[in-house]
Amino acid sequence: MNRVIRRRPHLLWLLFPYVLFVVVLPLVNRVPLLVVWLFGATVLTPCAVALARRGDRR
Amino acid sequence: MSPAVVAVSVFGVSMVLTVVLGLLAVRREAGGGLDAWSVGGRSLGPVFIWVLMAGEGYTSFSYLGAAGWGYNYGAPVLYVVAYMSCGYAVGYVVGPMLWGYARKHGLVSLSDIAAHRYRRPWLGAAVAVLATVFLLPYVQLQITGMGVVVSTISYGTIGLDLAYFLAFAVTTAFVVVSGLRGSAWVSVLKDSLVILTLGFLVVYVPLHYFGGFGEFFGRLVDEKSEWLSLPGHGGETSGYGVGWFASTTVLNSLTVVIFPTTVAGYLGARDADTLRRNAVWLPAYNVLLFVPMLLGTAALFVVPGLVGAESNLALFELVTDSLPAWGVGLVGVAAALSSIVPMAVFMLVIGTMWGRSVLSLAPRLRHREKGAAQLVVVVAGTLALAMTYTAPNTLVRLSLISYEGMAQLLPLVLLGLVWRRMTLRGGVCGLGVGVAVVCVLVFSGHDPLWGVNAGLLALVANLAVAVSVSLLGPPETGDDRRDEDVLALEEFTDAAVGPAASPGRG
Repeated sequence: MNRVIRRRPHLLWLLFPYVLFVVVLPLVNRVPLLVVWLFGATVLTPCAVALARRGDRR
Repeated sequence: MSPAVVAVSVFGVSMVLTVVLGLLAVRREAGGGLDAWSVGGRSLGPVFIWVLMAGEGYTSFSYLGAAGWGYNYGAPVLYVVAYMSCGYAVGYVVGPMLWGYARKHGLVSLSDIAAHRYRRPWLGAAVAVLATVFLLPYVQLQITGMGVVVSTISYGTIGLDLAYFLAFAVTTAFVVVSGLRGSAWVSVLKDSLVILTLGFLVVYVPLHYFGGFGEFFGRLVDEKSEWLSLPGHGGETSGYGVGWFASTTVLNSLTVVIFPTTVAGYLGARDADTLRRNAVWLPAYNVLLFVPMLLGTAALFVVPGLVGAESNLALFELVTDSLPAWGVGLVGVAAALSSIVPMAVFMLVIGTMWGRSVLSLAPRLRHREKGAAQLVVVVAGTLALAMTYTAPNTLVRLSLISYEGMAQLLPLVLLGLVWRRMTLRGGVCGLGVGVAVVCVLVFSGHDPLWGVNAGLLALVANLAVAVSVSLLGPPETGDDRRDEDVLALEEFTDAAVGPAASPGRG
């Protein structure tokens, strides 16, 4: 796995949605931030995956 | 003409169109074998894969259960958005990995993959049976969902029992004839209608009832603020706090990538890059999942006092109250297709697993895999219909049990595909422990436990047992195949994403 990450470090972008939806959850769990935050995270997820794909295409 | 006649007419015409689309899709595939029926001959391009996988993810639960949860609890229902988004990101790696492995070895399902990895046909049969047990409630969920929709949009003129039967009959006939390719074609119609109707409703409902989206959200913040954060309106006693949300997101996002229906979508792709492209665009579809949740909370102001299963109709209460009959029919069609497409793929996957991994163990049936698979579809549908009549349950609980149970296949299948040291004994012991823990916790009412999804706790136990037994127990003997024939590591090599790998063929 380490070897894969060394060769394709851009795959780490795939963990970004977990940061947005899971890791920071306790910090954003208040009204009305939570719903807005989750909406933003939903919009940003395709961008994170796109960055992983862009790295693969280079 | 009465509203019921108008709405049912719109619905009826659309159902005919659905079956015709399915027939058109398979016209060129007539005479194809199990591959053509179950994974579309591995020939689906980016658009079909996108609509098919989006179609699988956006089910009748999204219209009914999500709005119901939005009504009863509020924010906790957004776990669906969270796990789907994270799952699609994981699918960027896992999808091409499973696609390459299945294509290389001529495999058509998750059970087939397990049987090949451990070189044990009986394991494939066992995985097929286990997956069927966890999928059948899902088929039942879709039958129930579509039945409720049909009954509602007919303004009650079509009773629930008849509506359940219609859901079963249309879907079973459709999937037996059309297979995965037909599901992809119908998904185009379904996704177009879902985007159209939800896009319209998210603007129209706040405007119609509140004077605008800003006013609606303002009232929500002022008067129903509990619904807008975790643990939602249910409070701490509901168990839907931050811990539950996070653990369910993690568990379901990992499970969705090996969910047999997702795997069917992966295997139907024409090349690995189609799946990578798909992983970029699929999460965008999740934006639509906010709509039922918001409309569920809007229903709190318009139709207060819905209790129990009535809350699942929160969205449709608004629709029937505010739209003309043809509009009700159109939303009903979108919701019904949101049952049909996933249900078709669920049944197709059950049929495929049984046709390839279970019934083909009998030498007489080995050359009739497709016919056997189609027969199993009818049997599975009938069984699910019977369950609908005799063992109804709430929508969300069933889907959670499916996911928690299916999650226990993760170490055996996914870890097994990247770690050669994983033994059959280790994988099976872990699976047994995981399934036992899920059953005990869920059926004794301890899910979530300590605020954490019981399925994740079971998965941790499963993983610990699988790894320990594999490392400490006797190593696998008698399997002299090379690593590249057993594992699915090609996705992790430079060649997988190199220029030569992109324009693959089916």
